[in-house]
Amino acid sequence: MKATDKLIAAIDKKLERFDPLWQAENGTGGLRSRYYDKTGVAKWREWRGVKDTFYDYTQWINNLVSMAGMVASAPVPILKGFWEYRWMGSYLGTFMFIDRLFEGYRGTELRIAHQNMHAIVQSLTKRIAFILSNDRRLGGGPDTDKIIPHDETITPLFLKGFKDLYPVPMQTLPEFIICDIDQHIEPYYIDVAESFGLPADVCSRCAAETGVALDDALPLVGKIMLSTNMPCNASEATSMFQRRRIGLPDNPITLAMQHQEKEAIPYSRKELENALAFVEEHYGVKYDWNELFKYATLMNEQNTIELEKWDLFKTPYSPLSGIAESLYRLYSWQSANGTDPYFNKVDRKVIEIMRKCYEDKYLPFGGKTRHRAFLWGPSAVYYTDFPTWTQNCWGITIVLNMDSTMGYNMIDTTDPDKAMDDLTAFTQRACMRHHAVGGWENINAVWEWAKNFNCDMVLMNDNIACKGMLGVHAVMEEQARDLGLHFIFIEHDLEDSRTVSRQDMRNCVNNYMSVVLNEKPLDPTLLEFDDSQAF
Amino acid sequence: MKKVFAFLLKLIGKLLLIALIAFVATFTLYITNGENKLIYYVVRPFLNKHYDAQVRDRRIV
Repeated sequence: MKATDKLIAAIDKKLERFDPLWQAENGTGGLRSRYYDKTGVAKWREWRGVKDTFYDYTQWINNLVSMAGMVASAPVPILKGFWEYRWMGSYLGTFMFIDRLFEGYRGTELRIAHQNMHAIVQSLTKRIAFILSNDRRLGGGPDTDKIIPHDETITPLFLKGFKDLYPVPMQTLPEFIICDIDQHIEPYYIDVAESFGLPADVCSRCAAETGVALDDALPLVGKIMLSTNMPCNASEATSMFQRRRIGLPDNPITLAMQHQEKEAIPYSRKELENALAFVEEHYGVKYDWNELFKYATLMNEQNTIELEKWDLFKTPYSPLSGIAESLYRLYSWQSANGTDPYFNKVDRKVIEIMRKCYEDKYLPFGGKTRHRAFLWGPSAVYYTDFPTWTQNCWGITIVLNMDSTMGYNMIDTTDPDKAMDDLTAFTQRACMRHHAVGGWENINAVWEWAKNFNCDMVLMNDNIACKGMLGVHAVMEEQARDLGLHFIFIEHDLEDSRTVSRQDMRNCVNNYMSVVLNEKPLDPTLLEFDDSQAF
Repeated sequence: MKKVFAFLLKLIGKLLLIALIAFVATFTLYITNGENKLIYYVVRPFLNKHYDAQVRDRRIV
């Protein structure tokens, strides 16, 4: 052992009583002990031992530098954005969000998690600066008319054949990402929508998006908009409200609902082709397939690595799991989508680490995993940092979430005709589309996924306002019983934490684990706590 | 040569001192969770007051 390692080991021993994992093991506290009640504000940051605390500190600096870079690159638009948009204020909760997500993480798990998270931070900060610098509400900019605003569930990749244009998912900044960071932001927009008479029992994501549009909180960019029917019927409704409020020429991309059927491809392909023609007409540009192939190659690499990760997830030796995996895949697929080579760089690094862990038979989370769960959950699992909590409280590792199963087919990079078919199949399997709507097959697939990934448990989020899913509740429970899987329905109201609180969601797991399985928590401080006023 | 060497030593010393001060300041902010406390208790309430006072043109069309 080197002298420095000896010194670090001595300091770690001396300070171990401040480590919440040690506290939980020794009955002197736990991960929740360092928080002020209700607010989710920590009195101090987590002590993880010298090496891991220092690593976490360097990553905090890294993210801080990205944010400073964002402000420095467009100081006036950023300040105007903070002043104009309520959702911009919510981005200030990002540091707290990252701390929550990686609570209890040590060693390799922490390193991979931060690499993935920094990819998101660097991408988002650049995107915020770009959009606000070109937002007509804030005065516009040089690229305002070169942006193609499209629905967040449409993949930006197929639009990358327009060399000088920038596809931007419209709702990503004011709704899709920010709802994960601040649980109080979307209820405000939901109330705006409901004040116009929108029923209170619809999907809260769609209600929130409508509220953002009616509140004039969507940045105004581009010459047109590309709306969609994805992922479900409630999305069709919010698309209509948005198109009326924004007032730009709109081309709705209405992809086939039953997208697993073979006949869906020619129909949906035509829809994408119409959208490309619509862009060509309004922007006066020509689609360039060679340009598209450049980005498709990046996306193919992302997916190739993802499939290798899946093989490693099937083993007990993957240091990547839970929110570090799921949130990253959600963003890197739905938002980056082959358009940002930084994600490829991160993927290459992470897969190297994962291969090494597999060779070394590395057991993550100190070998405390008791159950391997497949999660069928949307955004309510992010603002609640649910996978982190299940790991720390009950030793339930979330092996894979439904968001990770989005389009993983490869795209041909030589023949435009084949590429168009591939892009269609790829786009149809977008976020939330591949799982909850579009036919019974999609929902029923959860058992196959769980089996393939060697899971003994399925956690299924039950969005109480999702009309499509309400009918299947009892059927799923019956199937789980027949298949011998532990199965927990977690009720939630997606982005409205007032209806079902974070603690209500945690109680669904608490009750099953204590009453049905008679297990004791790894960290009792995480069983019941009030974080209703936290971001 | 000696002068250059002495200058370099002085410069490195100063840079190290600045780096040390920057490390102590940022690490203190980090470990005390200072920026999050500031954001939660001061910045967000201030911004929320402003957002609540905004008159927004809410319309369906």
